[in-house]
Amino acid sequence: MNPDPATILRRGFLGLLALFLAAPLIVVLSVSFNATRRMSFPPTEFSLRWYGEFFGDHAWMASLERSLTIAGLAALVSVMVALPITYAIWRYQAKAAAVLAGIGGALFLIPGVVAALMLSAFWGVTGHVGRLENVVLSHAIVLLGIPLSLLMVGFRTIDQAQVEAAYTMGARDSDAFRMVVRPAMTPYILCALVFVFVLSINEYLIAYMVAGFTVQTLPIKIFANMRQGYEPTMCVAAVIFMVMGFSAFALMSKVADLPRLMGRTRPLED
Amino acid sequence: MTAADIGLTAPTGDLQAKPRWILAGLLTGPALYILIMAIVPAFLMVQLSLAHREVGGLWSPGFELTQYRQLATPLFARIMGFSLLLALTGAAICVSLAFPAAYFITRMRRRAQVAWLVFLLGSLSLSEVLIVFAFQVLLSTSGTLAGALTAVGLLAPGGSLYPNFPAVLTCLVYLLLPYVILFFYPALSQLDPEVEQAAATMGASRVSTFARVVLPMMRRQILTGVLLVVIFTFGAYLTPLVLGRPPQWTIAIHINNAAMGAGNLPLAAAYAVAVVAFMVALLVVTRLLSRRREAEA
Repeated sequence: MNPDPATILRRGFLGLLALFLAAPLIVVLSVSFNATRRMSFPPTEFSLRWYGEFFGDHAWMASLERSLTIAGLAALVSVMVALPITYAIWRYQAKAAAVLAGIGGALFLIPGVVAALMLSAFWGVTGHVGRLENVVLSHAIVLLGIPLSLLMVGFRTIDQAQVEAAYTMGARDSDAFRMVVRPAMTPYILCALVFVFVLSINEYLIAYMVAGFTVQTLPIKIFANMRQGYEPTMCVAAVIFMVMGFSAFALMSKVADLPRLMGRTRPLED
Repeated sequence: MTAADIGLTAPTGDLQAKPRWILAGLLTGPALYILIMAIVPAFLMVQLSLAHREVGGLWSPGFELTQYRQLATPLFARIMGFSLLLALTGAAICVSLAFPAAYFITRMRRRAQVAWLVFLLGSLSLSEVLIVFAFQVLLSTSGTLAGALTAVGLLAPGGSLYPNFPAVLTCLVYLLLPYVILFFYPALSQLDPEVEQAAATMGASRVSTFARVVLPMMRRQILTGVLLVVIFTFGAYLTPLVLGRPPQWTIAIHINNAAMGAGNLPLAAAYAVAVVAFMVALLVVTRLLSRRREAEA
């Protein structure tokens, strides 16, 4: 069957879109494998030289480790805050929990620079300046909207009839939790952790304004490098981001029903 | 279903007392965290915008409108005007690309859909630092793009493709496209295919079905999508800084410069309060607009 003009047009549009979205990634990837020091695209000669330099450099490795620590802790904190809130909404329809969730969602709508200023002023007043935990707690609050909405999607998938059946059979809250809630929620909790982790590790402005002078995360170091004069090792750092982000979401698609997680409720056949 | 429905089957003795204690146990920690990290900083920012500026980047509590008077200057109006122009141009491009893209994606088979979602989520999470850097390489004088444009005579030899307005706009569109596509995804995937089939059986072409049936049903989402782009653009810092010249600096750069460079935190706070007030006003306007249109429909 020959594709009709509409199909050709649709495929062309999506193809161009994919190309546009992939172009910067291709550039960074190929520059990182370039043998020369000059920042040029397309690359001239293939080499792994910058990868060796990156992994042999203490400053880069320290930044990477710092970023991983911050992102991991921020993911834990924001999921630990979002879980009781969403559970209280689902199990008890608690108004107070809905208000908290509303604040969390509203924060996500504040322009990034305003959130960064608010939090940097806050840490300035407390006198607790330039610490790693400042970045952790700041990222966790700004990104709170993500675990809130993902975990809400998760709780909605739990069959209420199943929970009620458990109660009629004399199950206590803790039993119902263990038998029904925990297994159903595990993939959603994992996805929320991954999502916050990936966004935190890529975040620049808040980290910079809250503790940028002393806590140099990977994005801050890359940007400082860009301003001070180009060094190809920063491309390696950029490639690490890309690999981490894409593999995290690919993994997520194996663990959970990604279309549903992104808000599709109409069934989707294979 | 309400809490009472579920509670009916639970032991009735401690029904009244139990949820309150459980809720207190569940919510005290999260409430404290949100209070300290969100509510307090927000109040602090308002207080800061009214504070008295001292020399050397310091400030003392006060209640003065010195900083807000600076908002009534042509400079501030120009910066806000430019930020809004950039945001609305970006929104027009993003929405008109993202809407059909999301529409097509929701109609794909599962595997293709999951692949697109992974691709979009992956590129959405990429650091602005990284994207800005990639655009810098892509648009640099020595790059392929500049070479090609010079060869066909569209660019003077040795000319650069940045810093300028189109570079800032392109990069912002790049950063926002995945967000806007994913924002449209749930609503468009909920759309009943039968509605379109019905329109088709009544003789409507695919294009007119899209324009007359699908688009009007999505008015509210489209308006909110525009708002999303505006909020993000007002908050964007690195893109206009690296790919633009000072006339293309958005309010975010001026906030950052006031806070970090000039050490004038009260002025930065006043700017920020003005930006948030502007966003709230826009939110109210979009809500009113979508409500009125829904009433008409």
